[in-house]
Amino acid sequence: MEIRIMKNILDRNQNKADEVRSLLKSKNVNMINLISSPGAGKTTLLERTCERLMKSYRIGVIEGDVTTDRDAQRLKKYDIPIVVINTEGGCHLDSHSISKVLGYFDLDNLDILFVENVGNLICPSQFDLGETFKLAVVSTAEGDDKPAKYPMLFREAAAALLNKIDLIPYTNFNLEHFKNDLRNINGQLPLFEISCTRGDGLEEWFQWIMEKICP
Amino acid sequence: MHELRIAEDLSGIVLEAASNEKLVKVTRVNITFGQLVQIVPEIFGTAFTESVRGTIAEGSELNIEIVKVRMKCANCGKEFRIRGNIFECKHCGSTDLEIIKGKEMFVKSIEGE
Repeated sequence: MEIRIMKNILDRNQNKADEVRSLLKSKNVNMINLISSPGAGKTTLLERTCERLMKSYRIGVIEGDVTTDRDAQRLKKYDIPIVVINTEGGCHLDSHSISKVLGYFDLDNLDILFVENVGNLICPSQFDLGETFKLAVVSTAEGDDKPAKYPMLFREAAAALLNKIDLIPYTNFNLEHFKNDLRNINGQLPLFEISCTRGDGLEEWFQWIMEKICP
Repeated sequence: MHELRIAEDLSGIVLEAASNEKLVKVTRVNITFGQLVQIVPEIFGTAFTESVRGTIAEGSELNIEIVKVRMKCANCGKEFRIRGNIFECKHCGSTDLEIIKGKEMFVKSIEGE
């Protein structure tokens, strides 16, 4: 006998994500889910972004890490609320892990909650966390083929950041190939070409995010 | 590695449905994956086999149907299939598109006795 089910396999994650999204919306908190490979520069991007935005916005951070709290340690100097989720080998965060730690934040006194997902371009893009939007962060040192290889992330993200553009002369990264692939995957996606260590392009990124969270 | 976690969610749904219908054995599980879902069917199959070990769904056959990507253009309203990885409207060239098929991860049915 055959029993019809017709149910989303990720229902459990999706239901919790919907709950998180509506809670954050009621509190006027923008949750931004940063997805990248390991070493693309998510933490450095958060450092630069905190330095620029923390005067005008109340910022919190959820640090997803397989193990260690090293990323969180780097952000401690800004004196902002930070919670670490160690996935203990898990390759992504899910909505249940986010929901569990939201209680550590004073959501009535928060404007932006950054989530630094586990460094990985595939798994995190499958799991809705209840975020306001996703960001795709890639770096020139990883090669120019990331949009073509991981189209889902670039379809789902609200913007892409290409970090370490100061390193282009030392790599075989082809900016035209990268942009062409990105246009093919998602011609609507804003791209910021930045260097978090040298500062290139960061002001455009700050302006974009400020407009995005204060429509 | 997310295959393992997704397979566990699937086995939870399968066993719950089987228990509601008072099945004693699940023989086949029919699911649908969109083409854009980044899941390796072989790894997913192994993960599912492991996650139902020792349950009434142990040894059940996993049947995966792959659904092709279908888009809808927000500019001209037409629906079309994409070729390769070029997300552009075939009719008007717009890139303002919505994915209407190709992202799903669905349990269609289970079979058993």
